[in-house]
Formats: sequence, structure tokens, C-alpha cells
Amino acid sequence: MTIIAGVLLVLLFTWYLSFSAARLDRLHHRVETSWEHLDALLQRRAALALEISHQTDLDPATDFILMQSAYVSREEPIVDRNDAERSLSESLKFLRESARSGELTISVRLLDELTALTEKITLAISIHLEAVRSVSKLRSRRIYRLFHLAGKAKLPRIYSFEEDSL
Amino acid sequence: MIDRPLRIGMVCPYGWDIPGGVQIHVRELAEHFIAQGHYVSVIAPVSDEESITDPWLVSAGRPVPIPFNGSVARVLFGPIAASRVRQWIVQGEFDLLHMHEPGIPSISLLACWAAEGAMVGTFHASTPKMRAIASVGPLIEPMIEKLSARIAVSEMAQATLNNLYGTEAVVIPNGIDTTRFRDAKHKGAGSSPTAARIGFLGRFEENRKGLPLLLEALPKIVKAIPNVELVVAGPGEPGKVLAKVDPQVAKHVKFLGRLSEEEKVEFLSGLNLYIAPNTGGESFGIILAEAMASGAPVLASNIPAFVDLLAKGDAGVTFQSEDAGDLARKVIELLGNRPRLLQLAENGVAAAIRFDWGSVATQIMSVYEVAMTGHGKVAVGSENASWKKGRER
Repeated sequence: MTIIAGVLLVLLFTWYLSFSAARLDRLHHRVETSWEHLDALLQRRAALALEISHQTDLDPATDFILMQSAYVSREEPIVDRNDAERSLSESLKFLRESARSGELTISVRLLDELTALTEKITLAISIHLEAVRSVSKLRSRRIYRLFHLAGKAKLPRIYSFEEDSL
Repeated sequence: MIDRPLRIGMVCPYGWDIPGGVQIHVRELAEHFIAQGHYVSVIAPVSDEESITDPWLVSAGRPVPIPFNGSVARVLFGPIAASRVRQWIVQGEFDLLHMHEPGIPSISLLACWAAEGAMVGTFHASTPKMRAIASVGPLIEPMIEKLSARIAVSEMAQATLNNLYGTEAVVIPNGIDTTRFRDAKHKGAGSSPTAARIGFLGRFEENRKGLPLLLEALPKIVKAIPNVELVVAGPGEPGKVLAKVDPQVAKHVKFLGRLSEEEKVEFLSGLNLYIAPNTGGESFGIILAEAMASGAPVLASNIPAFVDLLAKGDAGVTFQSEDAGDLARKVIELLGNRPRLLQLAENGVAAAIRFDWGSVATQIMSVYEVAMTGHGKVAVGSENASWKKGRER
């Protein structure tokens, strides 16, 4: 009797471990895909920034910041381009505000595209961060640490550009 | 980014033939996406399957009434519903599933449980005191986790979600079709400079909708503004609520009964002031957005959902919730200040644009795009289990 109960308990616990691991696996997958999506949007933003720089009569300083950060954003891996993304966010925000107050003329098409893209990025960032925080929360639970349920997966990180308002 | 027609499956947990905010939201969202060329199929509990006229609606069976959030919710669960939902998912070949209110035991939760793939959930309710759900929270949490992205319809709904399941969501408001309200016959506050027509809309027999409070305030209002007229729209039995009211005051009250969508537009746009005396249990307050869109100035109780909704653009005035004295005072003050009413109406029309389906559905589509990244078609659980098929990652 005790043996059967023991076996059942072990089976149940094994099932629970595998359930927990599957749960974390799904969350890791969510972090990956939401990042993939966000990264694609960031690439589009960099391309759009270059287009705006080509087609708009900007002052040399703004133009330089815009081109430089867009270039870094297109070429470098994410670990090296946090600052570039930040300055891209800032300078594009500045451009939008200048266009709104009439100090600067940007083609309507580019401005509309920029506004729509900025909204998408804002959404994509908040969904991605939510996934990242869920992973961290789950991985901090004892059972996940004790049984190494995360395996070799790296703990996803949050970049500071993701916390800026766009 | 998405330039092809999508196959979208939406799950509505509440009985389709019963009027309710979630049902209307699902219907209008589905119709909006269908008009854009997407394929949409909605599954919902239906009491009378003979009555189905929309080709995109699939019945999951007859709903069962359970008390929920101060009203009776008609939902559905159980093995038969579960198998119908699974079948619907398999046959639909969806790119994405959109569950509404997946946190309560219903077909939305069943779909969440059965499906693997791109899934989005919209949380409508805000019920901070839901102990029963809070206690099963840990069981539902892994289910909610399967959603690739979560939407809350208001800050309140977001806070509830956070309390119950510890997860976050992006806030996207409920949608309305502002063009329908803009083209209304009357012009709200401006329609008649001398009339004092105030309005209420809702299931007025429910105390939380606040009609009793408004009737309590009415004698004072009648005294100050003798030509005031209170028009009440919505389903219910007028005799019950009028029983306690002085006949002299009661003759200022008019009941319209349940209104069609067209009648609602006409009703709202003919008001000098729309009053929302709700005492709580509201998560969004779509009717306030509709009143604003049709040019009716809004006076609402200061419950969090309403304060939140009216916050942007000075489009309405609030009074102390459950305080009939303050309600009467604010009504008298506003009706005596016509320029202010006109200004509120104008601000309301402008502020309502952010609730238009054009903007709301675009945001929802952006969430779909995030959710679909890295996923193929939606499948049911056992179909893509690792022992049957190689992992696709």
C-alpha cells in the first residue's frame, strides 16, 4: 500500500516537474517571438529614419544624430545598440514634435508612417516586457531553481531603451 | 506588416442572444475585420440556435446562468462544449484565436486550454472583490500564460488582471462607431436651448446602475428646474422603481423601454445632459463614450472607470458616487449654465474619436501581429504534441 502510494507520488511529482518545465518553455518561446517582432519593427524604424533624413531639410546636427543612430541600429547586434536605439527614439520624438508645431516640414506620408510605427513599437515593447517579466517571475520560484528547469536558457534582459517613452 | 487576409477565430463566453457589452464588442470587432477582408468566425453559447442569422457565428451550445459580478452571467462549460470548441479550432484553420474574458470558467477558458499557437485575450471585467476567482487564480494562471498577448479594456480591468493573476496587459479601449453617432438627427446640448431633458440608459432594475439614486435626487432637481424631464431607456419594469417616488415628481419621468441601436443614437443626441449614476461594478462605461460621440454632455459618478474614461479632454463632469445631494446640485448647476453644456458637448465629440473602431481595431491588429510572430496555424493541444510531430522552433 505504502509502495503504491509512494510510486503514485513520484509519478505525480514527475508530471508536475514536466508540466512546470513546459510552462517555462512556452514563456521563453514567447519572449523570443515577441523580441523577434520588436526587432523587426526597430529595423523598420531605422530604415524610416534614414529615409526621413534623406528627404527632409534637417539641420546638420539632428541629421547627424539621426543617421548615425539609424546606421548603428541597422548594423550592430542588440547588446551594442541600446544607446543608438535610445537616441533614435529621442530624435524621432523631437522630429514629430517639431513637425506638429510647424517648425519643420516632413512629408505627410513619412510622418504618418512614423506615427503608426511608433504606436506599434510602443505596443510591441509593452508586450515583450510583460513576457520578460513573466519569465523572471517564474524562474525565481523555488522549484524552478532547485531542479534547474530553465536549463541553459539565459535569463532575458530588459534594455533601457525599452523603458523610454516614445 | 500584415498584408494578407487573416483567419481569425473569436471566442465570446457570454450567451450571444443576451444583450451585453462583451457581446456587442465581439460583434462589432468581427464585423469590422470582415469588412476589411479578413475571415472571422465567432463561437459563442447560443440559447436559440434557430435565431442565428450571421454566417460567421458558430454555436457552442446553450448557456447556463451563473451569478457573476452583480448580474447573472450566461456562460457555458463542460465536456460537450469542450469538444465543440476543439472541433471549431480544428476546422477553422485559424491564424490566431482571440479569447474574450478568458479568466472566468467559460468556453474562452476551454479554448485557451485546448489550443496551441497564436492567442490573444481581452479582459473586460473589473471585479476587485472576486474571492472565488482569486482562490482558483493559481490554477488558471498557467492557462492565461498561454496567451501570447493580453489586452485590458481599461486601467481598471488591467488592475484586476494584475491582482488576480499577477500579469500585465496593454490597455486598448472598447470601440464604438463614432460616425453613426455623429450623423445623428439632433445635436445634443444645442438641440433646444430651453428644454431640460436629462437621460439615463441601462438595466435600471439593477441597483448598481444607479437609477434609484437619480430618483432620490429628482425632487430637488424638479424644485429648481420645473420643466426638467427625465427620460429612462433600457429593459425593466417601471412600476417597481417608481413605487417609492412622489407622484408629483414621477410625472417628470418617462420610460422608453428597450431601444434599438438606431433609437439609442436618436435618444442620446436629443439629451441636454446624460447621467451615469452607477455605483460600481463598471469596468469601462461604453455608454459614456457613446453619449460623448453623439454630443450629449455627460455627468457621471466618480467611480474609477468613469473618471478614467472622462479624464482626457474635459468631456464630462463627475459627482460624488452614491451622494444624491451632490448629484442634484451638479445637475442644477449644469442645466443652468448653457455655454458650459455646449463646451462639454463639443469636447466630448472630439474626445470620443479615440474610441472609434478605426483606431481601436488598428491597435488590436498590431497586437495580433505581435502574437502571430513565430507561430503557424492554431492547432489543438494533442495534435502538435512533441511525440507526434517534431518541434517547430
